[in-house]
Amino acid sequence: MNKKEFLHSLSKYLGNVPREDEQDIMNDFEELFEMGKKEGRSEEELAESLGDPRTIAKQFRASIMLSRAEKETTAANITRAVFASLGLGFFNLIFVLGPFLVILGLLAALFAVAVAIAAGGITALIGTIFSPLFPEVFNMLINPAVGVFGSIGLICLGILFFIGMIYITRGFFRLFVRYIKFNVRIISGREKKDEA
Amino acid sequence: MNIQFKKGVLELCALALLAKKNRYGYELVNEISKRIAISEGTIYPLLRRLKNDGYVTTYLEESKEGAPRKYYQLTDEGKKMEKDLKQEWKTFVKEVDSFLKGGV
Repeated sequence: MNKKEFLHSLSKYLGNVPREDEQDIMNDFEELFEMGKKEGRSEEELAESLGDPRTIAKQFRASIMLSRAEKETTAANITRAVFASLGLGFFNLIFVLGPFLVILGLLAALFAVAVAIAAGGITALIGTIFSPLFPEVFNMLINPAVGVFGSIGLICLGILFFIGMIYITRGFFRLFVRYIKFNVRIISGREKKDEA
Repeated sequence: MNIQFKKGVLELCALALLAKKNRYGYELVNEISKRIAISEGTIYPLLRRLKNDGYVTTYLEESKEGAPRKYYQLTDEGKKMEKDLKQEWKTFVKEVDSFLKGGV
């Protein structure tokens, strides 16, 4: 593999990382090839000692996606970071994707509870309002005033729960980014056997 | 030498080299690969990670031989990290040594 092939392959495996990051990485390797050549090493020799561009690209991807998720803790960025770190090996499939899916499921369930509470309130409110009109359909046993306030209270509770969940989700995401980072630091590049 | 060993201490090696003086990428790669057989390319993702985490900063400096070089420099946080890791490493090596000597 010569310099051109190495850089091409590296760029291909870097995939959709931000342009400036890619440019930066390319510059670093250009620099390395130039200096190596000045010392009389051939492009092939240099590419050989650099190792597999795919492995190198994966490590770059993981750290770029992570720092992005850290700066902007959104679900999309975290998902990207999770998948980029999966590229580092089977280990992460279990120790990153597993917990990620569990937490995601848990959060989704809690959001559903919040929505259900609010929906229950809305249904009760409608029921209370319309019950005098259709006594045969809505057989409300409680005082209408209690019904109205109770259901409004239920709606508010649902909304508050929902807002609270947004904060909890953010907190979880932040913690999770730190967890992936910790994982990447421990295992980054550990698994490859072609790497002596 | 076992690959696992090398990978684990790569970060410490890079920080220790930078603690002595600021260096450019190729120099770091060379210094490390001179003594530890490793895929040289993996040192660059490591340097980027250290930069993202605020342990090193980079600056460009003109060189006599043409194109400016990117130098790496430890931040205060990086210096602290280097000290901590070095201490951890020393303790670790001492413990392992005591097992190897069978003195426990």
